[in-house]
Amino acid sequence: MNKPNFDDYLNESLNTLDKKITPQKDLWAGIERAMISNKQDLKGTAIWPKLTAIAACTLAALIAVNLFFIAPEPQPVVAISDYFSAQKNSLLIEYENKEALTTNWQTQLQELEEAEQAIKQVLENEPQNQALLTMLAQIYQQQLDLINKVHAPRWQHI
Amino acid sequence: MLHVKPDQTPLCETTLIERVKLGDQAAYTTIYELHIKRVYGLCLRLLADQAHAEDAAQEVFVQVWHKIAQFDGRSQFSTWLYSVASNVAISYLRKQKNWLQKVVSIEHSGMDEQSANDCQGLDGLDKLIVRLPERARMVFVLFAIEGYRHEEIAEKLGMAVGSSKSQYHRARQLLQEWYENE
Repeated sequence: MNKPNFDDYLNESLNTLDKKITPQKDLWAGIERAMISNKQDLKGTAIWPKLTAIAACTLAALIAVNLFFIAPEPQPVVAISDYFSAQKNSLLIEYENKEALTTNWQTQLQELEEAEQAIKQVLENEPQNQALLTMLAQIYQQQLDLINKVHAPRWQHI
Repeated sequence: MLHVKPDQTPLCETTLIERVKLGDQAAYTTIYELHIKRVYGLCLRLLADQAHAEDAAQEVFVQVWHKIAQFDGRSQFSTWLYSVASNVAISYLRKQKNWLQKVVSIEHSGMDEQSANDCQGLDGLDKLIVRLPERARMVFVLFAIEGYRHEEIAEKLGMAVGSSKSQYHRARQLLQEWYENE
């Protein structure tokens, strides 16, 4: 049997499309919990933006200190990397036994780590390039945010 | 818990909303039951990811609970609710982008064919829609399914009206290509 042409198929499909789709799990329990404990949740989640902001400021300060005050051959990449690795390891240990919200977070983390390596390679030739250092710091920050986000999402436990 | 028959929805919903505004959680449960499938359907089509759609749908109802006082009754509640839902889903997608995607404006691809076929609740055209790339998918869903105008979509998605139209065209082309090759 011949297929209907695309325009007819599309019109027919859109006219008969059921806009309702049943979720595969009960979402109400989570909503209810969030409604009740919203203030507490907000307090709990508000700490991470603050901590990550502090981490970002610290990274920026490290870059500035290394660029302008440490002589004669500053190694800002090493300082940033050391600081970040400690933060990252500490988070990974903290969340070791916690279930992650998404299954693809490690892929995302790997993408960021690849970007980190690419920038580090370029920095080997231009170790004082501030734009690259800032970019590296931002990538590190994204990694911390990702690890936090997938392990401590707002609605995961709802 | 209140039980509302579908044919009584318009009248009862107004009462329910008034109760919700007073903090009645049982009334809100009924509102949830009336609209969750529609809200989830919208989130799933926009986000093309089951887990994200569940998360966004929850966020919609949590936000609406806190924003219900802003609903002034001048439009239908469902219109207001679905507008909140589309905004939450769009915002959710933006938050999901990683640093690299934001910097180089890489858009999310849709589901792959296998995932679309395996996704519960999707049939026919929906299985093709969730395979569309992000911008084309969002424009297509908002225009063809939700009935928004390109001007409204452009504002929601932060793009030019011409871009909304060209993304819609792109979506149609891809859908046609997949449909004809099925």
